[in-house]
Amino acid sequence: MSIWDRFASGWREFRKDGYYEEFDYAWTMTIDLDRCTGCGACVTACQAENNIPIVGEEQLERGREMQWIRIERYWEGEYPNAKLKFIPMLCQQCDAAPCETVCPVTATYHNQDGLNVQVYNRCIGTRSCAVYCPYTVRYFNYNDHHWDAPLEQQLNPDVTVREKGVMEKCTFCVQRIRQAKDHAKDDGRRRVRDGEVQPACVQTCPSEALVFGDRKDASSRVSKSMSDARAYRVLDELNTQPSVVYLKKVDADAD
Amino acid sequence: MANVDRREFLKLVGAGGVGAGAGFMLAESIKHPVEYLIPYPVPPEEFSPGIATWYNSVCGMCPAGCGISVRTREGRAKKIEGNPLHPVNQGRLCALGQAGLQVLYNPDRLTGPMIQSGQRGDDKFVKITWEDGLSRTAERLAAARRDGISFLSQGVRGHLAELFELFMGELGSDRLLHYDFGHPHALYAANRKFFGEHQLPYYDIRNTRYLLSFGADYLTNWLSPVHHALGFGHSRQGNDGHRGRFVQIEPKMSISGAAADEWIPARPGTEGFLALGIAHHIVADGRYDGDDAGKWRASLADWSSDRVAGLSGVSEETISRLAREFAHAEPALAIAGGAAANHTNAVDTLVAVNALNYLVGNIGKAGGVVFNPDPVTGGSVIDRQANYRTMQNLIENARDGNIDVLIVNNTNPAFTLPRASGFREALAAIPTIVSLSSFMDETTLMADVLLPSHTYLEAWGDDMPQPGVGFPVGAISQPVVAPLYNSRSTGDIILGLAGKLGFNEAIPWTSMEDFLKDGWRQIYERGRPESGDFDAFWRDVLVSGVWGENARRDDSVVIAPGVIEGLAVSAPQFSGERGDYPFILHSYLSTAMYDGRGANLPWMQELPDPMTSIVYGTWVEMNPVTAKDMGFRDGDLVTVTSRFGSIEAPVVTFPAIMPDVVAIPIGQGHNALGRYARNRGANPIEILAPETDSASGNLATSATRVALAATGRRAAPVKTGGESRQLGRGIVQSTGGRSGSPGHSAKLNSIPIVVESA
Amino acid sequence: MQTEERQLQFTDIHNDVVRSLVVTGRKYYITLGCAIVLMLACFFFPWFYQLYYGIGAAGMNSPTVWGTYLASFIFWIGLSHSGTLLSCVLHITNSQWRKAMYRSAEAMTLFSLMVAAMMVMVHLGRPWFIHWAVPYPNQMGLWPNFRSPLLFDVMAITTYLTGSSIFIYMGSIPDFAAVRDRTAGWRHHMYVLLSLGWRGTDTEWHRLGWAYTFLAVLIIPLAVSVHSIVSWDFAMSIVPGLHQTIFAPYFVVGAIYSGTAGIVTVMFVLRKYMNFEQYITKLHFDNLGKLLLVLSLLWSYINILELFTGWYSGTSTEYEQLKYKLFGFYAPLYWEMILFCGVAPLLLISNKFRTSFVPMLLLSIAINIGMYTERFLIIATTLSRQYLPESWRVYVPSLVELSIIVGSVAMFVTLFLLFVKIFPSVSIYEVKETMKIPKRKGIPEWQATH
Repeated sequence: MSIWDRFASGWREFRKDGYYEEFDYAWTMTIDLDRCTGCGACVTACQAENNIPIVGEEQLERGREMQWIRIERYWEGEYPNAKLKFIPMLCQQCDAAPCETVCPVTATYHNQDGLNVQVYNRCIGTRSCAVYCPYTVRYFNYNDHHWDAPLEQQLNPDVTVREKGVMEKCTFCVQRIRQAKDHAKDDGRRRVRDGEVQPACVQTCPSEALVFGDRKDASSRVSKSMSDARAYRVLDELNTQPSVVYLKKVDADAD
Repeated sequence: MANVDRREFLKLVGAGGVGAGAGFMLAESIKHPVEYLIPYPVPPEEFSPGIATWYNSVCGMCPAGCGISVRTREGRAKKIEGNPLHPVNQGRLCALGQAGLQVLYNPDRLTGPMIQSGQRGDDKFVKITWEDGLSRTAERLAAARRDGISFLSQGVRGHLAELFELFMGELGSDRLLHYDFGHPHALYAANRKFFGEHQLPYYDIRNTRYLLSFGADYLTNWLSPVHHALGFGHSRQGNDGHRGRFVQIEPKMSISGAAADEWIPARPGTEGFLALGIAHHIVADGRYDGDDAGKWRASLADWSSDRVAGLSGVSEETISRLAREFAHAEPALAIAGGAAANHTNAVDTLVAVNALNYLVGNIGKAGGVVFNPDPVTGGSVIDRQANYRTMQNLIENARDGNIDVLIVNNTNPAFTLPRASGFREALAAIPTIVSLSSFMDETTLMADVLLPSHTYLEAWGDDMPQPGVGFPVGAISQPVVAPLYNSRSTGDIILGLAGKLGFNEAIPWTSMEDFLKDGWRQIYERGRPESGDFDAFWRDVLVSGVWGENARRDDSVVIAPGVIEGLAVSAPQFSGERGDYPFILHSYLSTAMYDGRGANLPWMQELPDPMTSIVYGTWVEMNPVTAKDMGFRDGDLVTVTSRFGSIEAPVVTFPAIMPDVVAIPIGQGHNALGRYARNRGANPIEILAPETDSASGNLATSATRVALAATGRRAAPVKTGGESRQLGRGIVQSTGGRSGSPGHSAKLNSIPIVVESA
Repeated sequence: MQTEERQLQFTDIHNDVVRSLVVTGRKYYITLGCAIVLMLACFFFPWFYQLYYGIGAAGMNSPTVWGTYLASFIFWIGLSHSGTLLSCVLHITNSQWRKAMYRSAEAMTLFSLMVAAMMVMVHLGRPWFIHWAVPYPNQMGLWPNFRSPLLFDVMAITTYLTGSSIFIYMGSIPDFAAVRDRTAGWRHHMYVLLSLGWRGTDTEWHRLGWAYTFLAVLIIPLAVSVHSIVSWDFAMSIVPGLHQTIFAPYFVVGAIYSGTAGIVTVMFVLRKYMNFEQYITKLHFDNLGKLLLVLSLLWSYINILELFTGWYSGTSTEYEQLKYKLFGFYAPLYWEMILFCGVAPLLLISNKFRTSFVPMLLLSIAINIGMYTERFLIIATTLSRQYLPESWRVYVPSLVELSIIVGSVAMFVTLFLLFVKIFPSVSIYEVKETMKIPKRKGIPEWQATH
């Protein structure tokens, strides 16, 4: 083989499935908008699980929210025919993520499980990833955060507490995924079973609107959910290839 | 090369070095100081460092009684999840439940017994010991008249409620009250009136195909929200072949209204008329064929749709269509709550809604109204629930000097009763007030002796949820962490007092855990013990986090005699004349705050309100056309004045609210309860009129008329959302009702709507 | 090129330039002192506060995560195109009138780049790790992300900075030598070092001329690429309003435009305060004015195109973004920009205007204000109106940011003031060349024939 061929084939090698580990996953989430009630349980569960700071009223007045998953609401129509529709918006873990291209220090990249990972200790805070993200699901730490004692006792030891100057976003609870994969490995090198790992938001949703799993596993709940006729992706036309699939809300009175 | 001699060269190098050094020092000074991790050389028994331990317990954030599993690491509670085995929530949990961790680790918790050292309300307290606190309280109790002892607790079920009964029984006082702001008094009264049933039935939303909700925000705070949400989700998309239809009738769109297929604004207080109108149609159109059809027809004869349309503002066409749809769907379910259950005609309204359920024959059937077997324990609590009339009675007695000692347990009437009730003033007339609350809330601020309880995550207890899920279910609440402070569990405090008062014969237990175990021994002996002995049974219940009995109510439920003939809904009464007070105030329980208990939890303050995305504040929702007519813009601070008081809040235009109704969320407006709650927003309960529903004594929170006036100031609410219109971008996409695409497994809205001629 | 009054002699030029370096009046010290104090108070102090507190000291929020820091960065990079244009482009086209100005213009380039680099440091969330953006072998085994437009920035700007530094230094060597021979004391020593032993032989001149031209030819595409690359920070995103192919030419045109306006400002100041009236004349202003007019028309053209394509696309995202830019919260700024950069420069059609000094100064300052506004608007209006309407926010710069803008100008002035006392700010030998001297032996034909 020529040098070029050797280089090219080596380059492509680690893009093949299974190069890093015996099992690669493609974590996907479906969100059924017909089930979502906008209650916000997912928001609080995520805050509890991922050590998301309370930014306080003053910072929120300045527009610096910190919610890795947020509920967006859209009104349609006017009184008395007004309708309100909710859509939870979180990092879509895009396979063609615009944010990954632009980080100058590779603090965000795509891992072998199809997740868009954010490396906090590499981030230098250029915030260009937040600009490039069309879903605006990246959140920047504008200052150091403080937990009034003893609230910090609640912090999850499996998740970093981010310092100021660092970008953060939903990770599909990668700490839970990591733990599940470790358990599976200890259990004899098996695959993580469907339902064994759930991000905090999926676990708590009272109307079961969120479903999470591995779309490479054809028998998983999420694979079935994805193939529903109502499935669509938000901002599909941008071709970011998100791993979050939404199921259309049913407007029963429309024709 | 030019001459650069050695001296010059060294000077240059030195200068460069100093510069680099300065830069380095700057970098060092900005970095965080080094932190050290000290491993456990000898770890404690209860946990393994690095490995999580899970404990099952019961959530104590609202009366629903969901089962929880708490993840603890190194003796600290880290995350609350729903207990997958508990039938009420099946592994799911709402936002308020998740925030329970912030109740446990709240910076403003009361850390130990204290006594008032200044005037009541000064917030000057001095620490004392438990011995001292219990002795003082016991002294006062011993010295008080029998009827002069009043115990006011939050709604408590299970064995703790029984302990309260025992204790008050020994004291010889009958003044044991459980007071919750959101308790559905009218619903209980309506069930008693219509079915003769003492307890609430189970509303099977999961299996229904048509839910007609008169104001009940079943997804947020009506009875058992997580269970209802589970049912909602299943009814929508979990049921192969059928998609449930949800209709919401209320003056302001709630979360349940947003989730509904149809939101119908009806004039406040006319929901009962509407129910009767629909019932009239069902019977008149011949869709009811029971034996008593004639009686029904006669009773409902006056409620034709044109009359009802005139009263309620809902068109005749809609009324007859609703009746058609409701009767056709099998099964259909009608529920009522929220505004509809808080007018002066609440019980009548709810009885009318019960009639609807009866007429479509869903009593005792799946997808309908299912009555539960008698609760295993704590059933007497239902009678102890204090409605407004009861509280008025207490207030009057206090004013008359009949109350010597008031013991308050984690309830806050100083906040959740209207000013017009005179509760705060009445407190002044009570010589001794003892508070068992965990937080310095408005009521506790007026107490003389503080004996703080553990939070629910640190204490033993149990709960049998009411209403049940169609069969007896219960769970034990156990401590998931060691107590943080010098508080004690409520049960232990009562037992301590009982000990000091010498009630050792009737109340021999020394700890709540023992009392609980004894109580559960009886439950264990009820059924056929599947496990070998009580200890194994106890362990099983704790490890699984739930207990249940496979028992159903097998006797059929009949309606009480005279109900059909007596079917009537009186016109709603409002406080204030329309001319002076043009708006009807709709104050509602919000997702995050509930009745104000969420205000000291920072997660709940930061949870954006689902409908408006507002955080950290109170606001007045108003119809956009009305706002324009009155010259109000979003963010204008207005005064909201009723006959009984005035509060200030900013205006927010809201597309789905009736033009003459304004809505204010409950929960903020505290002047105590800690740093996150204090001095924020306004409390609409303050200005509510003391109108009651005469049948149930329930406070008619929807019966207050208010006037709005500009203050000239602005106080724009803090929102996390930007523009709430999609502008054609297809972000939330919907698909039509009759989707004919192949491969679509869930048939949508399969209720056959038959258009009949006249 | 002759002045109006009398024929300039070589010695005049020498004297004037050396005088500008050696003789410092009180006015200079006061100005320098003020500039340093302003720089420390308005740039470094707020910046250190921001380092301590976090980027929260600025007014940025989610999703407008970029603000005046990046706008300043682009503005200063734009300003740096002045030197390139004047020095290199006009050098290759053999224009005479650049000779008196190009040294200061190149200095502008250098210092603008330095200030721009400082703005990057201010902008970063964790600037103490900025070295990670530089590809160097490290124990982590990590390289920066070469696909990132921001890294192209790093490469381009360092190359440009290096190139410009070499260029200005190299071109100044003969002048250092000239000044070296005329000064004494510590200055003499400094110029001895700086002039690298230049003796003025024919070979040296030949080599200098060749190297100078070589670098000039190299720096032109470099400059064009630098600002194109900077524009790709925006254009490679998919944010509506930023994701446009016209951004590269738009930014380059804008850069040259604001750079030229910057030169006009600096020339006015130099002329007045360094007593270079005889070297920087009406002719210079006239030609710069013509250049500005052309650039202004180009700039207006591109703006109109932007409006047109945005409207033509018919998509809600582009349309709302445009509507917001023209009529939204920042509308006053937008119309101010149009006025200063699109309408006011039409005054340059008038000959009289172009040759009047103070009006040109005022116009050049107005143009730069307008251009800064343009950079600011590019960031603020687009990030405020992205795809999901629920994420629409307003961004208002905080006091810290405004102070740093002022401080950055003070920093530039400080650097420039220090420059004029070290570097000969008018090129002695080049100006001499405009004075019709006999042909020197060994110099290329083309350099002697004008």
